[in-house]
Amino acid sequence: MTFLDKHKDEIAEILSRYPVKRSALIPLLYVAQHDQGYVSESAMQEIARLLGLTPPQVYETVTFYTMFNLKPVGKFHIQVCKSLMCALIGSDTMIGWIKTKLGIAPGESTADGLFTLSAVECLAACGTGPMMQINEDYYERVTEDKLDHILADLRSTGTSALKSGPFMWPEPVNSKE
Amino acid sequence: MPQHELILLKNMMQPGYTGSLQDYEKAGGYQALRNTLGKIAPADVTAIVRKSGLRGRGGAGFPTGVKWGFLPKDYQGPRYLCCNADESEPGTFKDRQLMERDPHQVLEGILLACYAIGAESAYIYIRGEMVLGSKILEQAIREARTGGYIGKNILGTGIHADVWVHRGAGAYICGEETALLESLEGKRGLPRIKPPFPATHGLYNKPTVVNNVETLANLPHIMNRGAEWFAAIGSPPKSTGTRVFCVSGHVKRPGNYEVPMGVTVRELVYEHAGGMRSDKPLKAFIPGGASAPFLTPAHLDVKLDFEHVATAGSMLGSGGVTVMEEGTSMVWAALRLMEFFYHESCGKCSPCREGSSWLVQTLRRILAKRGRMQDLETLLDLCKNIAGRTVCAFGDAEVAPIQSTLKHWRQEYVDLIHEAEAANLIRPEPARTT
Amino acid sequence: MSDTTAPMVRISIDGMTVNVPKGTLVIEAARRVGVMIPHFCYHPKLKPDANCRMCLVEVEKMPKLQTACSTPVDEGMSVRTATTVVNDAHRSVLEFILANHPLDCPVCDQGGKCDLQDFSHQYTATSRFVETKRVFQKEYFSPLIETQMNRCVQCLRCVRYCDEVMDVKALAPVGRGTMTEIKHFGPHPLDCEFCGGCVQICPVGAITSRLSMYEYRPWMLKRADTICGYCGDGCQMTVHTKGKELIEVNSAHGAGRNNGDLCARGFFGFHATSHPERLTHPLIRRNGKLVQTTWEEALEHVADRINGIKTAHGGTSVGGLISGRCTNEELYLFQKFLRVAVGTNHIDSSARYGHVNGLHAMRLVQGTHRWTVTFDDILGADVLLLVGTNITETNPITGLKVKEAVKKRRATLITIESLEPVIGTISNIATLSHHHFRTAPSDIPTAVLGLLKAVVDQNLIQPNVTQQHVAYVGAVTNALQNISWQDIQTTTGMAPEAFMQAAKVLAGGRRVVVLAGQLLLRSERGYGGSLTLLDLLLLTGKLDQPGCGFAPLAEENNDQGAVEMGAVAEFLPGVCSVTNQTDRDRIKQQWSGDFPLDVGASLVEMLDRAKAGSLKAMFIVGENPVGSLPASLRAEDALRKLDLLVCQELFLTETAALAHIVLPAASSLEKSGTFTNTEGHVQAVRPSTDPIGESQPDWEVFSALSILLGSPMEYAESKEILKEIRSVIPGYGSLGPTPLPPKVDRVTMDRYLTEGYQHDLAARYRLVIPKSRPDGTLRLDLVQSLFHSGKFSTRSKGLLQIEDKGRLRINPVDAARFALVDGDRVRLSSTAGEMTTEVKLVERVPQGTAWFPDHFGQAAVRLFDCAIDPITHAPSLRTATVSMMRVA
Ligand SMILES: Cc1cc2nc3c(=O)[nH]c(=O)nc-3n(C[C@H](O)[C@H](O)[C@H](O)COP(=O)(O)O)c2cc1C
Ligand code: SF4
Ligand code: FES
Repeated sequence: MTFLDKHKDEIAEILSRYPVKRSALIPLLYVAQHDQGYVSESAMQEIARLLGLTPPQVYETVTFYTMFNLKPVGKFHIQVCKSLMCALIGSDTMIGWIKTKLGIAPGESTADGLFTLSAVECLAACGTGPMMQINEDYYERVTEDKLDHILADLRSTGTSALKSGPFMWPEPVNSKE
Repeated sequence: MPQHELILLKNMMQPGYTGSLQDYEKAGGYQALRNTLGKIAPADVTAIVRKSGLRGRGGAGFPTGVKWGFLPKDYQGPRYLCCNADESEPGTFKDRQLMERDPHQVLEGILLACYAIGAESAYIYIRGEMVLGSKILEQAIREARTGGYIGKNILGTGIHADVWVHRGAGAYICGEETALLESLEGKRGLPRIKPPFPATHGLYNKPTVVNNVETLANLPHIMNRGAEWFAAIGSPPKSTGTRVFCVSGHVKRPGNYEVPMGVTVRELVYEHAGGMRSDKPLKAFIPGGASAPFLTPAHLDVKLDFEHVATAGSMLGSGGVTVMEEGTSMVWAALRLMEFFYHESCGKCSPCREGSSWLVQTLRRILAKRGRMQDLETLLDLCKNIAGRTVCAFGDAEVAPIQSTLKHWRQEYVDLIHEAEAANLIRPEPARTT
Repeated sequence: MSDTTAPMVRISIDGMTVNVPKGTLVIEAARRVGVMIPHFCYHPKLKPDANCRMCLVEVEKMPKLQTACSTPVDEGMSVRTATTVVNDAHRSVLEFILANHPLDCPVCDQGGKCDLQDFSHQYTATSRFVETKRVFQKEYFSPLIETQMNRCVQCLRCVRYCDEVMDVKALAPVGRGTMTEIKHFGPHPLDCEFCGGCVQICPVGAITSRLSMYEYRPWMLKRADTICGYCGDGCQMTVHTKGKELIEVNSAHGAGRNNGDLCARGFFGFHATSHPERLTHPLIRRNGKLVQTTWEEALEHVADRINGIKTAHGGTSVGGLISGRCTNEELYLFQKFLRVAVGTNHIDSSARYGHVNGLHAMRLVQGTHRWTVTFDDILGADVLLLVGTNITETNPITGLKVKEAVKKRRATLITIESLEPVIGTISNIATLSHHHFRTAPSDIPTAVLGLLKAVVDQNLIQPNVTQQHVAYVGAVTNALQNISWQDIQTTTGMAPEAFMQAAKVLAGGRRVVVLAGQLLLRSERGYGGSLTLLDLLLLTGKLDQPGCGFAPLAEENNDQGAVEMGAVAEFLPGVCSVTNQTDRDRIKQQWSGDFPLDVGASLVEMLDRAKAGSLKAMFIVGENPVGSLPASLRAEDALRKLDLLVCQELFLTETAALAHIVLPAASSLEKSGTFTNTEGHVQAVRPSTDPIGESQPDWEVFSALSILLGSPMEYAESKEILKEIRSVIPGYGSLGPTPLPPKVDRVTMDRYLTEGYQHDLAARYRLVIPKSRPDGTLRLDLVQSLFHSGKFSTRSKGLLQIEDKGRLRINPVDAARFALVDGDRVRLSSTAGEMTTEVKLVERVPQGTAWFPDHFGQAAVRLFDCAIDPITHAPSLRTATVSMMRVA
């Protein structure tokens, strides 16, 4: 079954949002990436066909954006923000911790295929750095201790309760006064 | 600390506030929509917003009501509203809070804007990484649809407006409004040549307004309490209302602080954000996100409003205030930001594309103590040749860190180069001609 | 493109005042006063993208420098292009662009014609860049096109051309920022139309042709502007040679009717001329074998035999067939030679295969033998109707005009074609269509009837026509009323509403152009279908309106010229009837020679006569009836019966192999003359190399033979023949830059409306209900391929690298049904014969259908039956039903 068939309803809903089909491209690429962990060539071809595009048109779009992987990545994709604001408060140190704990530098994956590490640009959490995103979740105000917990959680349960909920920081300070 | 009334962050600061439709309604939410739709003519809504003095919170600070007024009056076809929730400017994280903690406030703003400009479709272009935010917004849209605020025949007024969340996929440039439109059309996010402006040729070539999340979140309050009320807040007449400043860096309590425009940096940093994290003095700060030139302690009493920050040689931009303590290397700081710009340059314009890689490499070399004195002149020259010569304002933004650090802390560059020369790591030689 | 109706504004450029239409781009306005503003990304064919930032200029009252390529002029604007500020800006942009450029000019084929090189020179630009340069991994791109992405300046002209002009969208800018690289799809080599546009439009050496890699520097080359010999579009191209070697072909922006655009055949197909199998010496049959001989001997032999046959059986026992690929001068002299020196009217040309159908229809209805519209009218049309033309593959450049009209100028496109509107590696006109009627080729006339019926049913007939031509309108209406929507729907598969909508669009259009292609023109109903299309234009009142008209597309490059030169049985030069006494007398006098009175035999009749023994000799010039006619015509048997067969050819074709004498002919790259393209524009052909071996331009052969036959037709050069043509057809081809089309002749039109229509109206307005095909069979169509045209192209090494053999194109669904995958071999059989071939899965082929490319068609032709049009004598292939079986 093609991935389009597999996600028929979701895709129909996505298409219904836009008056011009090509707008559905990025949302459909997400569906594809979600399905397989990366955007495969056949997925790009299927999407091109569905949207009335040529495969190169899909390809040029895919490669413009950093969030699409053209190759499989680790089960947990750790993305540490390395922009100035986080760097001021220790993101480089945090990358160092991960390097020691998992033995991988940015751009590398662990041998067991569990973790991939990337250093990325600002993720809009500068007030709560150092921070990282693992797959879809943010982890903020990361300390070495917290990092250990997170990695252990991910290994054992695939998720961690330490991930951020809706934006909280700083604690409602104005109201306290 | 002086007590300011919170407007945008007010609800979410209430203990127990979840941001659900119920909570929002309880806090008086959607009253503005009820009182506006079908009751005040769309043109009058625009007039009220114009009168409030509300200016865009996305970076450029363009007066919102004026922007709306550029839409063609007699055009019959579809019009679009795009809510710019791309928030990718390093140092900025306010839109994320507004969306995740009080999504209905944003939605109400979007609906009011749709009404004012006659749009029946609105897309919230949210940066791809904010998965949680997009889920929260989608949930809120479902609630609002059930509540009759979104969809066909809103609140029985015969007015339609649909709102969708559209996730970006990792590209800072898609915050630039025309790149955002390209991206929303499923293309590479390359900024368009302007004119024509989105007001006439926007999404799908149709009249379109792009507004920032925070800009839109202000609308329910303006409609509820009137243009005069809003216009009196802050630093009238040109910088009205509050700003949600995002304070980051070496402070005790980094985070978002909503204060009227015109408070000083000193007040923001030392009173709201709790002062410097260690007791080292403040060395430098950026007042408006990565694109804003660095300022020095001499500017601590500059009022944070559009005009005063501009006069001080920087810009209010997106409201991201990043603070650096004594001991921070300014060359290093400039490089970190320059790496960001290099990574994010879309590549359309030759000066920006080639310049950003050139600047990064040169800064790296200087920091690695392999610089030469003539590098400084080259750096400044390159910056001059990029700024103002590109399709979008990214070109102006990317040179800000280098230009401003070279202006205020040139000696740090010189010292590094002297070290290089002393170590004789590279012999001064004439620039290679190619 | 500036609007010609825009008001003029007055602006100043570097102090010079110029008046230009409002909205003209500053860069173009500057060009008018001779100021060249440096640029990379701008190209007049493309929408401004303003990405290179090279064209910055000062505009008064604007604080920042503006890009001249994207700034439209406005009244009173004052522009400065040469101030210190502007110069510094240009130099700085060059410095940026040079930063990552490898400066490998010594090994770059663009060296000497490179914009970056030129501007660097002009600005003595250097770069202070001392950092590490960006390096892209070298990747294989395609057999014909080479990329060297380190040289790319990222102006995206290639990508934009491929999308905006060609509508192919095969090129992708991949990645972002400095790392943006032009690729195809993933790691795949390029698969596209291979129009060469990206090679032509790249301002630097990032995309170059592999056919001439490392072989030349521009200043070593000799150039000749000539006309492409591959199809009726008649593109102007420049052939570059180094000594005797063909190096490359390109076309300058703005050149010719093609405006500098070419297709794969034009751009990559030129090597056919220098193919090793070219005939280099005359051949004579001795003891059953063709052996080399001298020109003297060959020509004397021919003259002797013709004289003998003439004496014994009369001139009319000789016939001639010539290709529509010859020049006008050759076509003219061929027929004059046969008529006067030999004394026969049995003359035909490849125009018979289909072109005559459209032409006869135009003559009957509007009294012209040419289009009443030009390419410019296609561009200016607001409604375009394309009937039976996969235009991208048959007439690619006319196709570009259609694309431009639809994409840039918002014309509405109606298509009646068998193409599925699926996007593939080459562009598909059906995907641009607003009203696509997907019909089997044999049902195209039915779909046209559907449109007419919708016109009548919705009362869209122009009131004047209704009032003035009651009988005509009545007859058409009656005929259409006898056709039921039900039958139209079952035959075409299209609902009545679709016809109703399209008919409304057609009738509502102000400038309507109808283009008809081979699928209609070469079919059994090619003539009738053309007439019906003319009826459609008549009824809606468009036919004689400016900007409107019927445009049958010529297949061979000079089919139009062949008819106009009288190289067909029924016409004398100027498309005068052979039997018209006034014309005969005039031409007889001009020629000072008489010729037979009766209409000659057409190709099929000649073959019949040869079989019957009354035709004894034939001259066949550049045609290969044995290879291209259906088996049922038994061309080979017929030719074998002849006492004398003379072939003038480039290669030893199946037909030439049967000849008694084979004379080596010069190709169109080796001679002078003129070609008349599909829109009736006469254009100069100029030699770019010397004839190969002893080959001779065809006209010189006719001339030599005429002397030997005692009716000397001597000319010093082909220009003298053109002069004579002009005395017979006044004003023929006064080589202007744009054609002036003839107007509809009202007298003829009125005659048609009062009586002319009656002749075969009933036959034309009768629905042909297709017989149902037995389960498990396919219908076979011969179609054209973009990459080939005539046997010539299959000898071009460039084109063979794109398509090296005929493959049967079938729909993937059918492939699944027959359990076939790409590349499987199959045997096809019909009642007429069988063949074995390889399959290729192509989505645009409709289900239940199989397409075989015409120009690899020798084997496939055998599977078809043949039909002959009673009026135009055009032979056509009947629909073939075939069964298909996989073979090992
Ligand atoms: C390079 C660049 C990045 C931008 N990023 C953002 C962004 O992330 N969010 C945003 O709201 N505006 C951003 N802007 C500003 C937008 O172009 C636009 O001015 C804004 O969305 C208009 O909304 P406003 O008038 O409500 O501020 C960016 C501009 C530039 C030049
Ligand atoms: S200035 Fe930079 S980011 Fe903006 S369009 Fe040009 S290349 Fe892209
Ligand atoms: S030619 Fe104007 S920006 Fe490239």
